[in-house]
Amino acid sequence: MSLELLKDHETVRSAPVSEAEALVDVRRLNLWYGKKQALYDISVRFPRNQITAIIGPSGCGKSTLLRSLNRMNDLIPGVRVEGEVLYEGVNIYDPRVDPVAVRRQIGMVFQKPNPFPKTIFENVAFGLRLMGVKGSELEDRVVEALKRAALWNEVQDRFKKESGLRLSGGQQQRLCIARAIAVEPPLLLMDEPTSALDPIATQAIEDLIAELKRRYTVVIVTHNMQQAARISDRTLFMHLGVLVEEGPTEIIFTKPKHPYTEAYITGRFG
Amino acid sequence: MEILKQRPSRNPKEVLTFILLVSLSSVTLLTTLGVILSLVGDVVQFFRRVPLLEFLLAPEWTPLFAEPRYGIAPLIAGTFLVTAIALLVAIPLGLSLAIYLAEYASGNARARIKGTLELFEGIPTVVFGYFALLFVTPLLQRVIPDLNIFNPLSAGLVMGFAIIPYISNVAADAMESVPRSIREAAYALGARPYEVALRVVFPAAISGIIAAIILATSRAIGETMIVAIAAGQRPTLTLDPRETIATMTSYIVQAATGDQPTGSTAYYALFAVGFTLFLLTLFLNILAQWVVERYRERYE
Amino acid sequence: MNRSLESSPQAFSTDPWKTRIDRVFARALLIPLAMAIGLLALLLGDTVYRSFSVQVVRADEGPGKTYPFGLSANEILRQELLARGYTEEEVRFSLQDPTERRVLLLQNRVELMWSTQDGPFRYVVTGLRDERVADFSLAEGLRRWNELKANLKEGERLVLNPWLDQSFLTRTPSRSPLTAGIGVAIWGTAWVLSLALLIAIPVGIGTAILLEEYLREGTLNRILEVNLRNLAGVPSIVYGLLGLALFVREFGLGPSILAAALTLGLLGIPVIVVTSREALRAVPESLRQAAFALGATRRQVVFRVVVPAALPGMVTGVILSAARLIGEAAPLLLVGAAAYVPFFPNGPMSEYTVVPVQIYLWVSMNIPEFSRVAAAGILVMLAMLSGLYLMALYLRNRFRREW
Repeated sequence: MSLELLKDHETVRSAPVSEAEALVDVRRLNLWYGKKQALYDISVRFPRNQITAIIGPSGCGKSTLLRSLNRMNDLIPGVRVEGEVLYEGVNIYDPRVDPVAVRRQIGMVFQKPNPFPKTIFENVAFGLRLMGVKGSELEDRVVEALKRAALWNEVQDRFKKESGLRLSGGQQQRLCIARAIAVEPPLLLMDEPTSALDPIATQAIEDLIAELKRRYTVVIVTHNMQQAARISDRTLFMHLGVLVEEGPTEIIFTKPKHPYTEAYITGRFG
Repeated sequence: MEILKQRPSRNPKEVLTFILLVSLSSVTLLTTLGVILSLVGDVVQFFRRVPLLEFLLAPEWTPLFAEPRYGIAPLIAGTFLVTAIALLVAIPLGLSLAIYLAEYASGNARARIKGTLELFEGIPTVVFGYFALLFVTPLLQRVIPDLNIFNPLSAGLVMGFAIIPYISNVAADAMESVPRSIREAAYALGARPYEVALRVVFPAAISGIIAAIILATSRAIGETMIVAIAAGQRPTLTLDPRETIATMTSYIVQAATGDQPTGSTAYYALFAVGFTLFLLTLFLNILAQWVVERYRERYE
Repeated sequence: MNRSLESSPQAFSTDPWKTRIDRVFARALLIPLAMAIGLLALLLGDTVYRSFSVQVVRADEGPGKTYPFGLSANEILRQELLARGYTEEEVRFSLQDPTERRVLLLQNRVELMWSTQDGPFRYVVTGLRDERVADFSLAEGLRRWNELKANLKEGERLVLNPWLDQSFLTRTPSRSPLTAGIGVAIWGTAWVLSLALLIAIPVGIGTAILLEEYLREGTLNRILEVNLRNLAGVPSIVYGLLGLALFVREFGLGPSILAAALTLGLLGIPVIVVTSREALRAVPESLRQAAFALGATRRQVVFRVVVPAALPGMVTGVILSAARLIGEAAPLLLVGAAAYVPFFPNGPMSEYTVVPVQIYLWVSMNIPEFSRVAAAGILVMLAMLSGLYLMALYLRNRFRREW
């Protein structure tokens, strides 16, 4: 499985997504951390209102790809990007685009829950306040987000006073989800959102994600194949910075077309 | 898309904040500039009136005499004397504590020892000076009959204690940063803790330890209140710790609290001494940094 | 070949000498700690002990008298001495000789107090209620208590006097150790410290934020860091020289609180930078990431998330640096903390003194009773410092976070 073989690789696609269906259209994306290239010529479309999973062994670039979608990689010094990422038809890497504006459109949930050391209310309200939302509208939307993140019932009596840090791990992650969706971002990015949680909390979050796809488009990175198989509609398989294969989840997991994909799925490496 | 046309990062508030932060930070740069300029200006005035050779070589510092002499040697001798005594106390004591902290202390003990040392660091030097003059000196006078009431010995001893935290903190950090693998290799060869500490860790951290000593010296040289109170303010060229002397710092205090008319040579002498002090400590600080950087690679 | 331990014990026996050395060594290393603690104990003990004395005091008559504003000190002394029965000749002679004058002041307890609470300056002559006739250390006094008591003359009493009492805290300094007080110095410290922090906090925290959040690397970062490291190593007295040359003379501020505050403020900047940077660094990167991901600009990330999270640490750092600054005497001596300031400061341009300087002046006076006053002053200063350290400790524990 050496890199040389993969560099000029043509991604194997099943049931490719059409332009009309795509919320995000990645076109020939290349990324370097300083001198080291991390993403090679990635082209892929993410369909609306579906859950797309990105899987692959450690270091294959799945997080890097995910973070390219909301220009979070810009925060790393020495990063260079070539190619385009079209969001609703607009290239977010266009020099005239402000990354901060991009990030207000896209939500992100991280691997380890990272609520701010503020009250539950203030956590969820943070993004809304950035947009200038105030007063009763603010409160309504906070409550709405907590409901949609399936956290409302557990915190409704204390959400204004209690610190977000006092919640359990699973609750904290749901808080982070509520925080991300409070601003109603059409696109939600999730970077291994359950890998730091216990099985019960994981289950709760997976159920939640499945619900979320009704209103949002979700892209989730996971190293847990079973999770990808359970909740996603489409799956991308990456290896060493290259997009090896992509297609409907069922096909990837039952009838993978590329030998690497099959090897990974059956556990022969990674 | 509408939202993508916004440019929140170009908000004037962003730029203004950055400018504000840079302006505030530039105060630190201006301070250094200020220190240098304020010293240099008056130093130049001084050397217009007093030849450099006299300053460096003359054996007397008597600015208030009818025929004033401006040789800095007595002040340097005084500073050196007190500092040497202080280091004689601080180095063994400080390094012992450092070794203990790095090799022997458990978590609890370490926290408590470091706490005590922090306490020491927090005591104003005026208090140490008071202790040196009113407690240590009378005590020593019983043992050493010739001891003057203002003498460098008491000041040096007390200053030594005051400086211990500076040596032990830096040296302990240096020793703690010696990689575990080196220690474990020594233990695996059957060495006992004290052998590991003395023969392996100590030499490995030697650059940091030397830096600690240099920094402590720099602090001792710049220390003012202990010497001003207990060592004396009479410039004398001697190495006898029983005699009253003056250090660079105690002279500066004495000169500044007795009113010198602004234009007088004596006033500028103040800055000449201050500048010498500044250069000396600057040199030592840079030396310490250089030692750490130059010799760090060897043990990585 | 199988060898059991019993058959060849020498293979694993330990060298008895080396074990012993090890143990001794470890204990020996703690000697400095014991010595240091011993020194602290001696220091505290001596100070407390010295602040008590056994005195023979005599009640003295003489109410206070006020003289109108406008008369010079000499004139008042002259009138007062004349009123007490001295001749013109004697009065003139006494007032001209400085030593005589000082002795007169001590003996006759003519006190010149400029009290700002009562409006414009008025010279007030007070007669002390008690005159100290003799003063003994605690040990000697207690030992000879009965003997001294038997030798008391008419109108005299034997007292055990703590030099640190309420009036000490509120009085102004005076030429007589009996009525010396540290009140003015405390006020001076309060004034100078507050103004100094007004400068040091914005510059210190601003620099820390710049270095930790905006410019984590690069040329400016390196210049600032090198500069800060050097500034931290500059002896505090050199800051005093800077203050003298720049603020007192060049800017023409004279020996005022403002000059002192500027000098002390500059001195306090490096410490605040270091502690604030630590506090900022302790905020986990994931919080910043979360804020950026929500579309916050750098300013918003820093000021809405990072700084609030680092606030307890930064406040602790400020308190600790305030504690350091309170004890600084050398630079303020140069900048003009005056030798004898018998009035409470009334503004930034006022003359002043601060606690450590006052203590220094008392100690260096070489009059034994003033060393008692100095001891009392030290106790006050240590109390102030303890208060600050306890506050910092409380803050550190109260806001200990698990991120």
